[in-house]
Amino acid sequence: MGASSSPKLSGMQKQVLSLYRGFLRAARSKSAEDRHKIESIVSGEFRRNSKQVDRKNFLYIEYLLRRGQKQLDQLKSPDTVGLSSLNVSVSETIDPKP
Amino acid sequence: MALRAAILRHVRVPVKTLTLTGRKSQPWGPNGASLRFLSSHGDDHLSKDEVIERVLSVIKSFPKVDPSQVTPDVHFQKDLGLDSLDNVEIVMALEEEFKLEIPDKEADKIDSSNLAIEYIYNHPMAG
Repeated sequence: MGASSSPKLSGMQKQVLSLYRGFLRAARSKSAEDRHKIESIVSGEFRRNSKQVDRKNFLYIEYLLRRGQKQLDQLKSPDTVGLSSLNVSVSETIDPKP
Repeated sequence: MALRAAILRHVRVPVKTLTLTGRKSQPWGPNGASLRFLSSHGDDHLSKDEVIERVLSVIKSFPKVDPSQVTPDVHFQKDLGLDSLDNVEIVMALEEEFKLEIPDKEADKIDSSNLAIEYIYNHPMAG
């Protein structure tokens, strides 16, 4: 993803960027401190996956998109303050696919 | 005849006062200001220079960016070495700076200072 000179984005890339945008939007609604934490966790997670996941591994990327969407829905709830649970689920899935 | 004249004379007075008072209170009421505020390209619309300056300062303050490389037509990924995730972050920072919400479809297209400036300058709600 890094060296690209912004060619046309694929549909899946657009979905990933849209999810990323969604997380950053949701983070805005939290307190300044929580927002900062959420942003660094989310950004780290997306960047890690952008390097580690094979861009042709569509099934796995689709799985990550769905999982991310669920986590985003949880984060959007006003009761959710932070994303500490995300760390847990991240370490669980470092070895992907059950 | 005398009756008719009397009626006419009688009617004229109240009609006159009604139109006068009615006209006065309408266009300059307290609603005038808020109506003007709704117009998309009012006097308070941002000038191009101001948009350029604020867009560039948002980009310059992005941690991964070398501020000396930022120009009004710099390309985020080709010239500044950013990736598409950084691109998203810059567009989000611009949203906050100008109090806008840029839809995904538009946001995906904004990949240079120039496009960002044009989009924001032409956006009626940018503030």
